[in-house]
Amino acid sequence: MELELGLAPPNDAGSCGKRRSAEAFGVKKPTLPLFLRDDDDDGDHGNGEDDTGDARDCEISMGNKRKRLVGWPPVKSAHRPRSNSHVKVKMEGVPIGRKVDLSRHASYHQLHHTLRLMFPSSTSHHGDPYAVTYEEGDGDWMLVGDVPWEDTVMSAKRLKILLV
Amino acid sequence: MGRGGARDGAAAAPPWHSLPDEVLEHAFSFLPAAADRGAAAAVCHGWLGAERRSRRRLAVANCYAAAPRDAVDRFPSVRAAEVKGKPHFADFGLVPPAWGAEAAPWVAAAADGWPLLEELSFKRMVVTDECLEMIASSFRNFQVLRLVSCEGFSTAGLAAITEGCRNLRELDLQENYIEDCSSHWLSYFPESFTSLETLNFSCLEGEVNFAVLERLVSRCRNLKTLKLNNAIPLDKVASLLRKAPQLVELGTGKFSAEYHSDLFAKLEAAFAGCKSLRRLSGAWDAVPDYLPAFYCVCEGLTSLNLSYATVRGPELIKFISRCKNLQQLWVMDLIEDHGLAVVAGSCSKLQELRVFPSDPFGAGQVLLTERGLVDVSASCPMLESVLYFCGQMTNEALITIAKNRPNFTCFRLCILEPRTPDYVTRESLDAGFSAIVESCKGLRRLSVSGLLTDLVFKSIGANGNCLEMLSIAFAGNSDLGLHYILSGCKTLKKLEIRDCPFGNKPLLANAAKLETMRSLWMSSCSLTLGACRQLAEKMPRLTVEIMNDPGRTCPVESLPDDSPVETLYVYRTIAGPRSDTPDYVQIV
Repeated sequence: MELELGLAPPNDAGSCGKRRSAEAFGVKKPTLPLFLRDDDDDGDHGNGEDDTGDARDCEISMGNKRKRLVGWPPVKSAHRPRSNSHVKVKMEGVPIGRKVDLSRHASYHQLHHTLRLMFPSSTSHHGDPYAVTYEEGDGDWMLVGDVPWEDTVMSAKRLKILLV
Repeated sequence: MGRGGARDGAAAAPPWHSLPDEVLEHAFSFLPAAADRGAAAAVCHGWLGAERRSRRRLAVANCYAAAPRDAVDRFPSVRAAEVKGKPHFADFGLVPPAWGAEAAPWVAAAADGWPLLEELSFKRMVVTDECLEMIASSFRNFQVLRLVSCEGFSTAGLAAITEGCRNLRELDLQENYIEDCSSHWLSYFPESFTSLETLNFSCLEGEVNFAVLERLVSRCRNLKTLKLNNAIPLDKVASLLRKAPQLVELGTGKFSAEYHSDLFAKLEAAFAGCKSLRRLSGAWDAVPDYLPAFYCVCEGLTSLNLSYATVRGPELIKFISRCKNLQQLWVMDLIEDHGLAVVAGSCSKLQELRVFPSDPFGAGQVLLTERGLVDVSASCPMLESVLYFCGQMTNEALITIAKNRPNFTCFRLCILEPRTPDYVTRESLDAGFSAIVESCKGLRRLSVSGLLTDLVFKSIGANGNCLEMLSIAFAGNSDLGLHYILSGCKTLKKLEIRDCPFGNKPLLANAAKLETMRSLWMSSCSLTLGACRQLAEKMPRLTVEIMNDPGRTCPVESLPDDSPVETLYVYRTIAGPRSDTPDYVQIV
């Protein structure tokens, strides 16, 4: 079974009437479920591109955090809590690093898009699967996507793209 | 007599259709409003020509609605131009990077066709340092540069402006993302330069040379607006004020400092000298002890922007209550209901209120309820514009507000948790928002939130006869909701929708409506590709843009009709499809 870095949630066609994006765009490969789908209720028509919802079992530990939706509530970034969000990005096998401003990205999707622009596949290994990791305050390296996006923005000190 | 070639007096006046152009153009110069000029231009061919040749101000609300060269050719005498780019929801991160809206083609066309251009304003566009360099070198009488929510430039570009624009009056940078190249852009203003009236660099992250700033402020005797950034400490603000007591508008920059009585005295004295100060703002992590230093200017203030200020409590409220002539108040929800009650009692001239959430992502404690808004709308007879973030609302409150304030022109309510019902009755808020649109006959802008069914849209469609902009999120039950809006709302210009169960049918049934509007945004709704294709085919003067997940780039031609569409952005244009789409945007 070939694994690749996928932005699609695990195939779960049943619970919500909408088709999953992965199916819709014809990509059938099994993907590493980096993002846990927010499968609360089917009244929630979801956020399409937003895959940063907490899984149910995470909600309890999230405690006082509101469920995160992309772009909601509608406040400009200037009105959000600020952090020094420019972080260095290095890709395995690429000598020159880059810098990216996390606070200017509202979701993982947008970050991945920017990273793809910064490290186009022509400069490194064509289309090989990779994982984006970040270093937290206490020095641990974490996989990008485990916690809600806003938390990653606040805690990430630098990023490293590893070839899987 | 003997007046040479004079004819009989009565026959002298030429008929309307042969009035010389100069007369027409002079007459049109008394029509500043673009809508009036547009109406005049539609009268006849002669007036069309005279109007377009003499148009001085041009506002392009969507940079893709027309090609820059065409705009410049059509209106050759423009002295002031404003161009807007990305859709409004880009402010909230719903538009990925590199979407488009480059200012460069506009700057290039202007450089060619409008050498006498004096004012340029860009909003939500990508402005590069090259653009700024071109502006600085292309317009010999350039006076006003306003950049709002833009990105793509650095302090190096600013240096080109300050160095090259010898007649600059206004440099107004609002909420831009500016790369700091540690360039001493402020130092490039020549020592002989004195024409500055507005300087706003509040969004700049880096340091500026204070001595240079001080000298600049000292010699620009016409400086009316000065908005500093976070890097300027409080004691420096005091010395700047002493140099510029004529200021009308001040943005204080960072306000946090430990309390020192001598600094307090300095500030108080400096403000006492500012008899003309009317507008105050700043990123105040304000130490409440300093607020009394401002008391002497409170009475004169017409505008107070504390939306970046985390100050709270009795000192804040006491401060605002002294501002008896306030017309515009922007504040954080830290003011709470009881603070707004004081505002209601003190600020009888209030026209615009905006209350922002201090903790937008926290779940919990409802800091602000409907009570604050009810009080203000009951006691402020001139209140006409509201932006209000709160935790809860009732129909009763909205109905009361609607009854008290039929003069609302802008009503934007954001209940933080999506689909929140009336917290007392647990019903939807249909009745409340319906009351608003029924009562406020002049409403031009509306944002709805909370639990809402299709019925509220029936009411909005039927009653929103002046409505120009409508924002909808997490609302409605079915296609009917969207159909009510598109088949009603006669003057609708901008419609933005997210996370609503609206599908293809109302879009196709009301396709013609979309050409009467500036733009439509629909994200996370129930649209499919087939309908978008049909729409594009039916309406050639619309551009129909689809946005996929960035990074997942399947060519749209290969996808079946029933593929779901995550984001749709449709706008009318006379320029045809744009050619600068990123890989995640496809035009069908």
